[in-house]
Amino acid sequence: MTDRTTTWTVPQIWAGRVAILVAFFSLWEQVAARKLIDPILIGRPSGIVTFLWQEIFVTGSLIKDLGWTMLGTILAFLLGSVCGVLVGMVFVTRPTVEALLSPILMALNAMPRIALAPLFLIWFGLGIGSKITIGFSLTFFIVLSSTVAGGRGGNPDHITLARTLGASETQIFRKFILPSAVPVIFNGLRLGLIFALLGVIGGEIIASEHGLGQTLTVLAASFKTSGVFAVILLLALVGVCITWGMTWLENWLLRWR
Amino acid sequence: MNDRAPHSMSVTSGRRGSVALARVSVNFGQLLVVDDVSLGVAPGEFVSIVGPSGCGKTTLLNFAAGLLPSDVIRGSYLVGGAPPVSGNRDIAYMLARDALCPWRTALENAELGAEIRGVPPPERRQRALELLDKVGLKGFEDAYPKALSQGMRQRVALARTFSLDAPILLMDEPFGALDAQTKLQLEDVLLSLWQREQRTVVFVTHDLSEAVSMSDRVVVMSARPGRVVADVRITLGRPRSVRALQKDPAYHELYSHVWTKLEEGLSP
Ligand SMILES: Nc1ncnc2c1ncn2[C@@H]1O[C@H](COP(=O)(O)OP(=O)(O)O)[C@@H](O)[C@H]1O
Ligand SMILES: [Mg+2]
Repeated sequence: MTDRTTTWTVPQIWAGRVAILVAFFSLWEQVAARKLIDPILIGRPSGIVTFLWQEIFVTGSLIKDLGWTMLGTILAFLLGSVCGVLVGMVFVTRPTVEALLSPILMALNAMPRIALAPLFLIWFGLGIGSKITIGFSLTFFIVLSSTVAGGRGGNPDHITLARTLGASETQIFRKFILPSAVPVIFNGLRLGLIFALLGVIGGEIIASEHGLGQTLTVLAASFKTSGVFAVILLLALVGVCITWGMTWLENWLLRWR
Repeated sequence: MNDRAPHSMSVTSGRRGSVALARVSVNFGQLLVVDDVSLGVAPGEFVSIVGPSGCGKTTLLNFAAGLLPSDVIRGSYLVGGAPPVSGNRDIAYMLARDALCPWRTALENAELGAEIRGVPPPERRQRALELLDKVGLKGFEDAYPKALSQGMRQRVALARTFSLDAPILLMDEPFGALDAQTKLQLEDVLLSLWQREQRTVVFVTHDLSEAVSMSDRVVVMSARPGRVVADVRITLGRPRSVRALQKDPAYHELYSHVWTKLEEGLSP
């Protein structure tokens, strides 16, 4: 046994994981069924399954709310990251603009966004607009700062080479600055997407007509704890999918690394 | 060619592929880096500039490439008969570090220079493929730089430099970071590329053996402020093999001659 990293095969590892989860949920179910802890506090795995079945396949309302949340998240992410990259690139190529605007934007970014949420609700209403605004206000600054960092991190030799070749400013930007910034920008995009989701759900929890955040508050207010856990489970799943998707996209885009 | 001797400076200075410096000085603020350098390089000539680190060798190349601001330079510097400008299509500049783009394959990197200078895609691709073959990278066209060794990366940089049709090549210690064996290999690759096309090469190095084995002339500079202390013609035959020269007594004799000059320059 010189190999100390693992002595289990991959299927064995998976079987082990499943066993742990089964043990955990059985224990939970038993504790709740025997009322060792009040099910109002911890819900019940069987209740979670029933809730998911009912709301996904019978009424379909969970799917509809998931749709609203995802629509808000994607729009907030797209708007926030496009604006973040564009403004960031202007900052990188026009130092005067950056000197002018950077402190103002930093001050804006220092405001706690959730505290601004009620204001966004007054301005943009209970619908998806206010949620997009909250998500946008988080994503934008994250992507902006990563774009500025990425744009600065280029190799000075590239710029020297480009000048001796007679490259135009546009060529220097397109062929050197932008591609070398992509890995750093991508870290910002990954984080920005998570924060877009966070902003949208936060907004929905505060006040909304649709969305998983709104579902969550309604369920919690009526002590449907299993339902709350079901929504949290669904959100965790969405988070995992987002992370997977971004990792896949990153590996493909940055296959040269 | 019988009228070359008396007017050679003025005749060569106007020609495509020539480089001519007359009383060139460079000051960075209070710091005098290059002091009154005069030097002529004929079209097709391979001239090395050697000197201790910090004596202004890179500065001389940057000057030729039009990278220095006009307030730090004095004297007349003619590249192909005209004053230096950045982006001069007569010049291909190879930096000390390979400066490859990690997001481009070897082929795409080799094409980069020609791409920026607006050579049409089929033509520049053809040329880049040819050069990758000549520098010994056939089969690595689609490899990204991360998968290449230091020596292979410098070969790609050589291909990128030679795929420009510039008559003047400026090279700034291109093999400085390589181990001795790889260095000898790449010196021979460079010589074989140059012998085929007879372009002008201004090759900067602090490695004397490299300068003597490859050049037609070796210009020795003093410690900063850099002045020319010797201009030695290397009378070894062509075509040469750098590796074969390592055992040639004539080479060693020239080497020790240039070495003496360099030592004189170090201790004024
Ligand atoms: N742009 C610059 N501004 C100020 N000082 C410089 C600049 N470029 C080079 N120098 C200085 O000029 C001197 C010569 O530099 P360089 O030409 O790179 O020497 P070498 O290539 O011979 O080692 C060094 O002392 C360096 O610090
Ligand atoms: Mg140098």
